[in-house]
Parts: sequence; C-alpha cells; structure tokens
Amino acid sequence: MGSSVRKGKAVLPAEQAARPSREQPRRAATEDYHHEAQNANNGQAITASCKNKDADLQFKIQAYIDKNTVMIFSNTACSLSAKVKELFKSMSIPYCSLELDQTEDGQKLQDVLYELTMETSVPIVFVQQKQIGDYDKTLKAHKEGKIQKLLETKGHDHMQDSYDYDLIVIGGGSGGLAASKEAAKYGKKVMVLDYVTPTPQGTRWGLGGTCVNVGCIPKKLMHQAALLGQALQDSRKFGWQFEEKAVKHSWETMTEAVQNYIGSLNWGYRVSLREKKVTYENAFGEFVGPHTIKATNNKGKEKFYTAEKFLIATGERPRYLGVPGDKEYCITSDDLFSLPYCPGKTLVVGASYVALECAGFLAGLSLDVTVMVRSILLRGFDQEMANKIGEHMEEHGVKFIKEFVPIKVEQIEEGTPGKLKVIAQSTDGREIIEGEYNTVLLAVGRDACTRTIGLDKVGMKINERSGKIPVSDEEQTNVPYIYAIGDVLEGKLELTPVAIQAGRLLARRLYTGATLKCDYVNVPTTVFTPLEYGACGFSEETALEKFGEENIEVYHSYFWPLEWTVPSRDNNKCYAKIICNIQDNERVIGFHVLGPNAGEVTQGFSAAIKCGLTKAQLDNTIGIHPVCAEIFTTLSVTKRSGGNILQSGC
Amino acid sequence: MGWEEKAARGYSEFVQAAQQSRGRPVFAFFSGDKDAQGRSWCPDCVTAEPVVRSELNSLPDGAVFIYCQVGDRAYWKDPNNEFRKNLKVTAVPTLLKYGTPQKLVEEECLNRELVRMLFTED
Repeated sequence: MGSSVRKGKAVLPAEQAARPSREQPRRAATEDYHHEAQNANNGQAITASCKNKDADLQFKIQAYIDKNTVMIFSNTACSLSAKVKELFKSMSIPYCSLELDQTEDGQKLQDVLYELTMETSVPIVFVQQKQIGDYDKTLKAHKEGKIQKLLETKGHDHMQDSYDYDLIVIGGGSGGLAASKEAAKYGKKVMVLDYVTPTPQGTRWGLGGTCVNVGCIPKKLMHQAALLGQALQDSRKFGWQFEEKAVKHSWETMTEAVQNYIGSLNWGYRVSLREKKVTYENAFGEFVGPHTIKATNNKGKEKFYTAEKFLIATGERPRYLGVPGDKEYCITSDDLFSLPYCPGKTLVVGASYVALECAGFLAGLSLDVTVMVRSILLRGFDQEMANKIGEHMEEHGVKFIKEFVPIKVEQIEEGTPGKLKVIAQSTDGREIIEGEYNTVLLAVGRDACTRTIGLDKVGMKINERSGKIPVSDEEQTNVPYIYAIGDVLEGKLELTPVAIQAGRLLARRLYTGATLKCDYVNVPTTVFTPLEYGACGFSEETALEKFGEENIEVYHSYFWPLEWTVPSRDNNKCYAKIICNIQDNERVIGFHVLGPNAGEVTQGFSAAIKCGLTKAQLDNTIGIHPVCAEIFTTLSVTKRSGGNILQSGC
Repeated sequence: MGWEEKAARGYSEFVQAAQQSRGRPVFAFFSGDKDAQGRSWCPDCVTAEPVVRSELNSLPDGAVFIYCQVGDRAYWKDPNNEFRKNLKVTAVPTLLKYGTPQKLVEEECLNRELVRMLFTED
C-alpha cells in the first residue's frame, strides 16, 4: 500500500538484513524485532507478523509525509540532520522532524524509509509529499529554488509530476491555440487535441478551428470576391472599358485560391506549435475520469493522457433543421467554403449573420439567391440596422421568403450541383409552398460541442438545453481544474478575438500570477453583408430598456460615400448612429455604422469608446475628408427632434 | 522502395524535374548556387543542407527529393526572378512539399523536428 506502490518500488521482504547507515550505529531496536519473532509459534507466523509490522510502519511513515508540509526523518546524533533543520529555520519554514533514534522501531522505520526512498541514511527530507532526499540534495534543491516552488503550490491530492501534462487543451481553434501557446511560453508542458468530425457531406479541414477553416477567413475572402465584382461594374463609370460579356466569375478558381490560403494557415499553426514545443495530436479528446482523457485518432487508435489542468475550447457546429432530407441533401457553412462546384441557384435558410453574409456574397457573385426567414433578421443585433441590411439586400436582387420554415427537402436530380425540392410551411401553419433550388444552405444556428466529450465523467455542469458551459469571470467551470473559453461559453460573445484574448489572459493568470480578466464589455463587431455593418456597445433597444428613453440621446444621419457618387450608387442607404447617455456627460454607449469598410471604421471608434468617449469629444474631433467615418464628427440631428437626415450630396 | 533524389540548376530544370515526378510526393530544397568548392553563397543554405539531409530517411516511400540550385546572388536578388514570380519562393533556403502550402523558410529549415514534420505528415 501507500507510497511504495506509488513509486513503483518493490516492497522488499522484511527478512532482508537491515542496512547499516552511514551516520548512525546499529540500533538496539533490532532486539525488539527478535523478541516479537520468538514469540511466534511457527515460521509462517513470523513471516506474517513481520509483514504486518512492515505494513504498519509503512503506514506510519506515509502518514508523517502526508500530514506535514516539510517532513524531515532525522537523528539527534546526526550532524547533517541538524544542518538540514538549520537550513529550514534560516528560510523561516516550519518543519516536522522524526528522530529515529528516539522512536520505537526506529531502525525498522529507517529500513522502510530506505525501501521507499533508496536513501541510505538520515536526514531524509520531504516537501509537500515530494521526496527531496539527503542534506546535499536538499541544499541543491534550495539553491535551485525548487523548495520555494513546491511550497508555493497549494496542497494537491495528486503529486504534480505524476501527470503527463501541465495543461491539455481540447480544441485547436482560435481560443485553444492562443491559450496553449501562451502557456508554453511560461515553460508549461502543453498538449492540444484537435479533431474535426466530418460533416454529413463528408467535409473536413485542418488545424485552426472554425474561424480559419469555415468561418471568418473564407467568408471575408468570398465577400471580397463579391465586392470586386461590384467594383468592376462601378469601374466603367470611372473610365475603364471592357465588354460586359468579358466579365465572368469562376467559383472553382476562387475556392481553390481560398482553400490554398487556408492550407497555409493550417500549416503555419502546425509549425508554430512545434516551434513552441506544444504537443499536437489530431485526435478526438473526451474525459474518462478525473484528470484523465482518452484521445482517439481517425484510425480508431486510443491513447490516454492525464493533466493537472484542462481547457475546453471545442467550439460549435452548425445545427440542422430536423426535417426529412436535411442531412442528406442540405449543406451548411461547414461545406460551402470548400464546395468543389458552384452552388448555383441557392436557398439560404436562416436569418443569422451567417445566413445573410453567405446569401450576400453568393448574390454578389451573380447567383440566384433566396433567403427563407422564420421571424426577424439578426436576432440580438440592433433591429433598425438589421432591417436596413435586409432592405439593401432585397434591393440588390436577394429574394426573401418571410415567416416560413422548410418541412421537407427532396432530391429531384443528382449532380454537382443537383436539383432539390424544398417544401415549406408558414409559421402560422396555414400555407404550404414549394421551390426548386440547386443548393440548400442551412444557417439556423450553431450547437456547442459538449455533449460527447465525457463531461459527465468529471461532474461538469453544462446548460442542458443549449449545451453551453457556464463559467466564472475567470473562465473556470464548476470543476476547479477545468476551464473553458470561446464559443462553448454560456452568455459570452462568439467571436475569435474574444476567445484569443480570454485564452491568453487565462494562461497568464494560471501560470504567472497575473490577475487581469477578460473584458467582455464594449466588444466591437462587424457583419459582412453586402452593405457592411459595424457596431460597438448597446443596440438602441437595449439602451432604451436599460436607461429609459428620456435618458438617452440618439444622433443619426445618412451619408453617401464619395466613391459611390460617380457610379450613382445607393444614396441615402449608408447610415451612422450613436447612442449617448445623457446622465453621464453624453457618453457614447452605442456606435453603429452601415457602409463600406464598416469594420475598419468601427475599430478605431471602439478604442475611443473604451476610453470613455463623449459626444462633446466627438464633436471636438476634426474629421478626415473625404471619408465615410468623418460623419461621426459632425452628427447633429437627434431622433428626438425628428429632423430630416436625408443627404443631397457632398 | 525508398526515395529518389534529383538535382536541378535553375528554374526550367526544376520545372522539368517536378513534372517528371508527377503522381509522386515531391519535396524540394532551394539553395543558392554552389561554387567550384561546393560552397553556396547563401550561408544559411550551407547550414541547413546537412540538417535536411539528416532527415531524408523519413521521406515517404516513392517520394522525390529535388535539390535545386536557384542561381547566383545577383539573379536571386532580382525581384522578377522566376522562382519568386511563379513559385512564390522568396527566400533561400526554402524546403517545401510541392503542390501544397506546406513549406519551411530560412531558419525553420535548421529545425530538425520541423523538417521531419514536413516530410512525414499530411
């Protein structure tokens, strides 16, 4: 039992002669041993009683080690024992010492200690249950700062060096990679497990998570492809001359280029992890017990690993409708960005930013696009802005079917793309409609990847309905050694930079004693619909609810980007709005812009908002001319006044 | 079956060697030209070559390893040289897996573990 087993050392039979120590003479305790043996009736009984005695002594030794932060097995006659005690006294570290020459069974205890520690003499020092050794080893450990380090860690149930890793990160996306690289910076032994379960269509991708492979990166590149198409049209008005029929778009060329770039990012992450000495395995990680996970690779091979701490960063995957034909025939954003053939006439189901951004760029590439929406657009976003986005898309050829949901998807024809029939029902149940499309893209929400990673085996609480993980403001779950970041979190923004920031700060808090927590307030975002939307802070609805109509002032205006004047594009569509808190110096608490390069515009203002930007400061800022963002330095019409904000020109 | 090495001097020889190896995994090491004594004008290439060669035994079966000398220093410094324009190889030494975005550039080539990773993983 006890530490002999833990250390993997054989328990030597008690009959073995006690080894004389260097520092102390043979003890009279041996006599006691003989006494007991002689009292026994036969050979076996002697053995038995020897073994029992041994077990008792092992137990006693172990108890001393376990119960004391610093344990010194010592001898009053031993000068090195005295020296080691002095050492701890000089460090003002309290210790417990057992003087073996003064203890009953002292010699036997010493023998047991030898079997446990392989130290032939006293003193034998333990710190936080970890064996340091004799005086020389203790002095060396002290000089290397190891003793201090051991004392700083709070008492653990397990010994640190019995774990395979300091930190295992499950999920190699934005959050997981940032946290693992940061932890490795501080010398921690880190492993990252990343695994992509193929989509129902069989799509898979490499290291880097959603953003890099099937999210932000390919989305923005395809959005750019669409914008360039528009720019080509505008260019004629600026004097560029070419035949209309010379302009065609190749889906395959675009997708190959995008995938190539993503491939270089996947590779870059592999190199980066290797260089920073983070172990990476392409395997599915799941908990099988406390501090233990099982990693299964795509060949089914299983490996088990233990770690002192874990970080769950498994993200989300697209939700399906749960209607016949959805998994067989529909695709999601997981499939779209690597689709080897042009999707053709597309039905996008959903009203999220994923749905609208995808519908937007597909239409921009001259595809026939319809969006089927159950209720409102962009739930959770400022609804005035959401509606303007929808209107703009409609004016530019995107068809909307509102208040309908698909109830069945059938295949009419196979092919790449094939032909699909979608049967949909109105939300009030009264009407059924049908439509034919080459591709049906589902974008009806994303589900957290927490159901199949064994969280029940470690007693982790998750939100049963959504699957998301509630955490403290330090990203700690209800299990003290398990943390979580990124899209899996309940109640937090699902954005790459948020996950990265949270991951880095968490690693610093865990391994450097830093205290800075992730600030989830006033995080700027941008929706890359054809008319881009950038926002920071409160939506108008939320501000009204929180502060009351009389306490907020909304300044707004339309604006016309100079670049759009010559091609006569979209006047009085671009829109700027700020929401100010009257009771707090007209502090800007909400920033909204609808127009080109909305992300670039919003980033700068979000820094100002973090500094406590007020309306007066904005008014005091001189604009840059001629750019879209300057509108924010000259806002004067409030919603309250009902004044006209239509523009007639520069 | 093992792996095979091909030597190429200059861009057209490289392209030829790569085309001859179609259907097989192709790895290429780009180095500055070596002089008559066998030393390259590119000092990092000199250091990297033994590291790369030490890991060649981890190449997959049937692989082709092309050792390509790109040209003299003047040719390389020209921003319009063919390697830069057509292959996007902008630094020497570069070690890459042809037809994929996987490559190691400059001091990355000196890292034995990275070289092994490039040769063995997909």
